[in-house]
Amino acid sequence: MTTQHSDSRAASARPDEGVTYVFAVCRSTRATSAWNVTGVTGMPGGEAVRLLSSDLLTAVVQTVPGSDFTDTVWQRRLADRDEIERYARAHHSVVSAVAAHTAVVPLPLATLYHDDTRARQVLDHESDRFHAALKRIAHHAEWGVKVYEPSTPEPSQAHGESVLQPDGGRGAPAPGAGLAYLNRKRGVQVQREKRREQALAVADSVDAELRGLAAASRRLRTHGAALSGDQRVHVLNATYLVADGRADQVRLLVETLEERTGARIELSGPWVPYSFVGEA
Amino acid sequence: MTGPRVDLSSEQMGRDLVALVLTVVELLRQLMERQAIRRVEQGDLNEEQVEEIGTTLMLLDQRMKELCEQHGVRPEDLNLDLGPLGTLLPRD
Repeated sequence: MTTQHSDSRAASARPDEGVTYVFAVCRSTRATSAWNVTGVTGMPGGEAVRLLSSDLLTAVVQTVPGSDFTDTVWQRRLADRDEIERYARAHHSVVSAVAAHTAVVPLPLATLYHDDTRARQVLDHESDRFHAALKRIAHHAEWGVKVYEPSTPEPSQAHGESVLQPDGGRGAPAPGAGLAYLNRKRGVQVQREKRREQALAVADSVDAELRGLAAASRRLRTHGAALSGDQRVHVLNATYLVADGRADQVRLLVETLEERTGARIELSGPWVPYSFVGEA
Repeated sequence: MTGPRVDLSSEQMGRDLVALVLTVVELLRQLMERQAIRRVEQGDLNEEQVEEIGTTLMLLDQRMKELCEQHGVRPEDLNLDLGPLGTLLPRD
């Protein structure tokens, strides 16, 4: 959650005072200094969102109560899905509002500094890194791609239980039942491996084709069914940094790939390139 | 850290313990099953042995299902999400 350069989220030294929450960083231009950010809602419980400028960079910041952003409070917040969603959305809405005007480096959720002076120091100190990131993402957007294995009808369950005796199997099983059971299980196993291989091949080819259009890409962990509650098998979770001029090509490619592979492909974006602002 | 909060009621803990025990047993059962299938594929078992192993595994499978039903544990509850490693048991 925190970045290497943010102060410890602790702020425990002065829990009753405000700390500086940084949403995003952009270049200082005449246009940025003229921005009106008063209409932007920030973190719950914070003061008004404002701009904090150093020589070349401008940060979008907000003073938030230190007591509401201590480590302990955040740990608790992270365990509460509704609560964390509320904060993540607040963070994202500020980042998006700024990104509508210019290229910004979005900072991770809950990036906090002791005060404005400290935040400005970091802007100066890390200015090379911020400029490199700004250069990389200017006129680019992030697109998320999720590939799901094509759903297949349940093959094994239907006739799976039929061999079991009506008495619950307590008596001696019919001759040949053991062999039949092993063969059936082997069939299921072979099918599963085949499906898995096909799905991974689809994932790889989708990834390869999209990388051809992207300036950069990252493959993320696929998520299990437990979290999202859906039963589809997720085989690719990747994100691509794509030049603005190529957005239509990406949409078209995804449609083509979906038709060709039969897999369900979800495209989302354009996003502020959160995933591409770290180390190159 | 981000998991749901732990419910410390004793009934819930009892159920969780049962589920955990059943999970371990089911994992072992599936490992034995795979091993058996591999040996059948290699052809180093005679027909009688295959039949015997198959029957044993089938009865175990059946018994597991009964135990799960008795304790109100769904088969998918036995499959732990190991994060980046995927799930403990293969998902069909």
